[in-house]
Parts: sequence; C-alpha cells; structure tokens
Amino acid sequence: MQQNQRIILYILVLIAGASWTLLNKETAANIPAGAGTAPQAGFKAPDFTLDALDGKTYTLSELKGRPVLVNLWATWCPPCRAEMPAIEKMYQEYQDLGFLVLGVNMTYQDSSSAVAPFVSEYGLSFPILLEETGETASAYQLRSLPSSYFIDRSGTVSEVVIGGPMSEALLRTNIEKILQ
Amino acid sequence: MLTLFRNLFAPPRHMILLVIAAWIGLSLAEKRSERHGLSADQLNTLTFYGLLAFILGGRLSFVLQNLPSFMKSPAGIISINPDIFDPIGALAAAAIVALIHAQRQNISLWNSLDALTPFFAVLAVGLGCSQLAAGTAFGMETSLPWGIDLWNATRHPTQVYQMIASLLTLLLLWFKRHDPRPGILFLLFAALTAGSQLFIQAFRGDATFILNGMRQSQITAWLALFVVFILLEIQLKKTRRGTR
Repeated sequence: MQQNQRIILYILVLIAGASWTLLNKETAANIPAGAGTAPQAGFKAPDFTLDALDGKTYTLSELKGRPVLVNLWATWCPPCRAEMPAIEKMYQEYQDLGFLVLGVNMTYQDSSSAVAPFVSEYGLSFPILLEETGETASAYQLRSLPSSYFIDRSGTVSEVVIGGPMSEALLRTNIEKILQ
Repeated sequence: MLTLFRNLFAPPRHMILLVIAAWIGLSLAEKRSERHGLSADQLNTLTFYGLLAFILGGRLSFVLQNLPSFMKSPAGIISINPDIFDPIGALAAAAIVALIHAQRQNISLWNSLDALTPFFAVLAVGLGCSQLAAGTAFGMETSLPWGIDLWNATRHPTQVYQMIASLLTLLLLWFKRHDPRPGILFLLFAALTAGSQLFIQAFRGDATFILNGMRQSQITAWLALFVVFILLEIQLKKTRRGTR
C-alpha cells in the first residue's frame, strides 16, 4: 500500500473511532450511579436480615451510614480461620470510627454447634450472623470461601476480596477506603 | 455452560486461565522467534525477567500506593493474597525491566516486540476468559438474545467480545505473510487491539466517564491508535530508507 493511501486509511479509521466514541457518549442523566444491586464493586450491596449468635437480628440496609465489612466464612475453611485474628484486630482498631464487621457464618453448610466454640477460640467480638437457609449466600453469588465485601457508608460495595487469608495491611487499605 | 465455567474458574482460580494463556502464548512465540532474530533461549530469558518484574512490580506499586497501611503491618508485603497487586504498576515494571535486559543483551526492541506478539495476543484471549470467569469487565444491560446473566441483569458479554476480537487478531497475525520489517507485526497487533477496544469499550457497564459523558477507556484507545499509526509510519519510513 502506498504511503498516501495508508495515511487516508489512518485518517478514516481515526474519524470512525472518534465518531463511535461520540455516538456512545452518555448524557449526565444516563450515567449509571451505583445502579442495581449485586455483590460487585460499584453496585449497592445485596440486603439481608440474619440472626446473630448473640440473639440480635441484623439488617444490612439499616446499617447505612456506617462502613461495613461483610465476611462470609465457615469453621472448616482454613483461610477463613487464618484471617480471623487480623479481622478482629482491625475491628478493634476501627470500631470507634463507626466501622462494623458482620461475620456471616455459612451455617447451612457448616456445623452450627462448631460456631460458638470457634468464636470463643479466636476471641471474636464482632457480630457473628448465622446463614441457615442459603439465601444470603445465593444473593452474594457465593462461589469461594472466604469472601469479603467492603461496603461504604452509602451502602455501595467498594472492594471485593474473594479467597484469603487477607493480611492486616490489605484489610487496613480497604477499610481506610470505606471510611472516607 | 457459562455457569459451569464460572463456577469452575471462580476467583481466585480464574488466574489459572491467565497462566495457561501465558504458557500457550510463550510456546507459540518460541516457534517463530528465530524469524525475528531471537533465539528461543533469548526469548525465554526476556519473558522470565519481564514476568518476574510484572509480579514484583505489581506488588511493590500497590504497597507504595498504600504505604501507611503497610508501614503499620509490614508482613502484609509478603502476604500470599493476590489482591495486593496493581496491574498498571506491574505493566510498567515489566516494560522497564524487559527494555533494560534487551539493551544489555543487544537485542533490538522492535525485534523483541515482534517475537513476543503471539505471547501478547494469546494473553489477551486469556484475559477475556479470566474476566468472564471472574465477572469483571462486565457489559451494560441489554435485551439482545446473546446477552448473558451477570450481576443480576442480562448484559452484553463484553468479555466474550474481547475473547473473539483477540482470537481474530491472533489468527490474522499468525497466518499473515511474514513481514521482515522490524516492529510492523507488533504495531499491527497494537493497532488491531486498540481498534477493537475502541469498539468494545462502548458496551462496558463499568466505564469511567470523563469530559461530559465520554468513556475514558475509549479516549485512551483512540489516542493509542493515533500513536500506533504514527509509529507505524516511522517504522515503514525507516525500513524504506534502509533498503535504498
């Protein structure tokens, strides 16, 4: 291909690309602002209401205004065990700033009798919720344990960490983000 | 089928797909490296240093961006969690280290990039597969019959678009008549990739909007395409002068 033909081709491609970009420009009204609910960064966190080990009932949507870490775990899961001390430490460090951890035990695929001894073994002071039906796991499209969702004050998922164990530094980095 | 695939390669297992792609890509690149003046050993060493820099650079960049957190818990730097990773920093580190290594070994930059083009092309296919498994880089909602159910909506399968575009790019470049002019193969790959991204990014549901509603990724792809065209002309001019 001759140089002139090539340059014409480049210009045509660039004009087509610019037109395509402008054609797909969104008006301010159409720009999605956290639309929809999904267990994915940028979406509103799926709501749930679960009973806790301490007898209280927690509803995620009622915690709007507080940064929340939802940690899905099971007693038989080694990485869940490994990250619990770091989660507890971060809870102790940040709870005065309104930070809350909801440790959601996957009771429907765990042994309910193993939960309380696990909590006392690790000295966990944050609420431990019991997921006995699988509905919350389904809403969070749970495929791996542990799964952690860092939810900001507006109820939007900021970060998702699938698998573990999370280190203190990673927890701190993500908590600092949702505290802002 | 899609559910089975996504369950099988659910995060963090989705990274296996990237490792498989890297392995296939490197095997293909090795087969043709001699054409570009690089022995298979030279190519492997270059890739080894590049990948090492990619992994360490990605971790280091993440740590530096969140230094106060890591200063309080320095052990986190060597944590096995793959989320402590910055892909942009990783790419920059890999490019710098590969460039330094190539210069020290007197390997031409353009020849190295040409030799590595099949590796990059297969990696782009693998990236689409891994994004599909992880559910990242998802598309906008659609009512088109080929939409996929993801994040509680029927969406454009942008990851599949990415896989198809990358696969077509790979096939086109693999079966294309060999062009001995250095840099041309890589620049064609870069042009096709930037062009396809310019098109595909319009369907993404997780876009960042700038300049009153334009997609940042589309503008980046357009600028990349512009730069690639300039580089293509420079390379073609250079080789024409060389043959006179």
